Amino acid sequence: MAELTSTLNQLASGLRFTLGIFFLTLLFSIPLGLLVARGRMSKNKIVAGLVRVYISVMRGTPLMLQLLLVYFGPYYIFGVKLADLDVGPFKYRFVATIIGFSLNYAAYFAEIFRGGIQSMPVGQYEAAQILGFSKAQTFFRIILPQVIKRVLPSVTNEVITLVKDTSLAQVLAVTEMFTMAKNLASSQVSVMPFIVAGVFYYVMNGVIEIIMNRAEKSMRYYS
Amino acid sequence: MNVLEMHNIHKSFGSLEVLKGIDLEVKKGEVVAVIGPSGGGKSTLLRCATTLEYIDKGEIKIAGEKLVSTSQSGLTQYTDKKNIQEIRGKFGLVFQNFNLFPHFSVRRNITESLIHVHKKSKEEANAICDALLKKLDMSEKADSYPCNLSGGQQQRVSIARALALNPEILFFDEPTSALDPELTAGVLKVIRELAEEKMTMVIVTHEMAFARDVADKLVFMDGGVIVEQGSDIISNPQHERTKEFLAGYG
Ligand SMILES: Nc1ncnc2c1ncn2[C@@H]1O[C@H](COP(=O)(O)OP(=O)(O)O)[C@@H](O)[C@H]1O
Ligand SMILES: [Mg+2]
Repeated sequence: MAELTSTLNQLASGLRFTLGIFFLTLLFSIPLGLLVARGRMSKNKIVAGLVRVYISVMRGTPLMLQLLLVYFGPYYIFGVKLADLDVGPFKYRFVATIIGFSLNYAAYFAEIFRGGIQSMPVGQYEAAQILGFSKAQTFFRIILPQVIKRVLPSVTNEVITLVKDTSLAQVLAVTEMFTMAKNLASSQVSVMPFIVAGVFYYVMNGVIEIIMNRAEKSMRYYS
Repeated sequence: MNVLEMHNIHKSFGSLEVLKGIDLEVKKGEVVAVIGPSGGGKSTLLRCATTLEYIDKGEIKIAGEKLVSTSQSGLTQYTDKKNIQEIRGKFGLVFQNFNLFPHFSVRRNITESLIHVHKKSKEEANAICDALLKKLDMSEKADSYPCNLSGGQQQRVSIARALALNPEILFFDEPTSALDPELTAGVLKVIRELAEEKMTMVIVTHEMAFARDVADKLVFMDGGVIVEQGSDIISNPQHERTKEFLAGYG
């Protein structure tokens, strides 16, 4: 019993990092994804081409490898030593994790947003133009709200994947929940910590599903 | 006074010339109906007049403001962005498939531009909206969403949305073509009432009886040109192509 309590305590301390990676990644990757989507649809062929390469690399290589590159890249490529640097209360290894996750997820979100934006009928833009809306007003008032409704199911998928992907931060020795579980399992010689961690992930995704279902329902008033 | 002047309008899509030198003038209070076979360039003409397409050559003036002109040397130039935006405030366009904003209530469809483009207060915008809905017999639908309205009701909302901005001229591109016959009547009635109030309108339509009744001037377009125009070309067509076309409508 004492062992279980201590397991829970330690996993909970790892959970802080897991949640930190999760929320910070969403915070940065969603707006960045929107920007990347716009870049991908840019009339400027060079911009569109570069963004296309960016998306293809991000989706075509392992996230774990990208994390390692963000962490070690500055030193091995540019000779800049960041590894010992702390950014505010955060160690660089944590910052590198957030950067790596955000860049990676932005690419996935960008493709989802692009699909949503391109599925909008051109008549919506034309009506908005005739009514005098500026380009920015048209996008934020008319297009984006409808795009959000269209892409929400795909976004939910990504968010659920992100919960599980946070465990990849272990490659940078961030002591998120999975790392903790692994350490505990080997010190206790028991699978119990893995099972408890699994329950944590599962519950988190359960909460996400409930929230996203509500969000979808709240937009069901129109079609 | 002419609210709309289009002179020698040319428009091509790639190598396909769709408008081959169109001249059209619309006086204040005049109702012009544009008829003609599909593919003749009617929609393109309206889209050029409403800045949804840019012309290759010619001159367009709306409410006295020059939108675009072609110089002696053959250079076609639009006025600057700010002026274009200003000119857009002077006309409205009603689409065949309404293009209402599905995520907005009827009220917000009508007031959004008033509030956020024309900087009216919410109260003012709501007052304008209520008056229009009452006039179009839609008062009880103010809080409905487009998906819960019939096609005829949606088209009336889209007319209200255009009227709310108090345009000097209103364009209609086949406003009843997407509607079941029984819903068409309500929309045509609204347009008739607007005509009685001397609203300046250009209406592309296949409703021949309606066009003949409501229009001061009829324009028959085919193959990118205006074949003939006048007040009675439906009852008394002069050109073979017009006669042929009208024969199809019994
Ligand atoms: N965006 C476009 N790109 C290429 N061709 C077009 C485009 N819009 C219209 N057209 C062509 O222009 C011609 C006239 O079309 P339109 O103006 O829609 O005629 P109408 O409204 O009289 O049926 C047609 O041949 C049509 O295919
Ligand atoms: Mg047409």
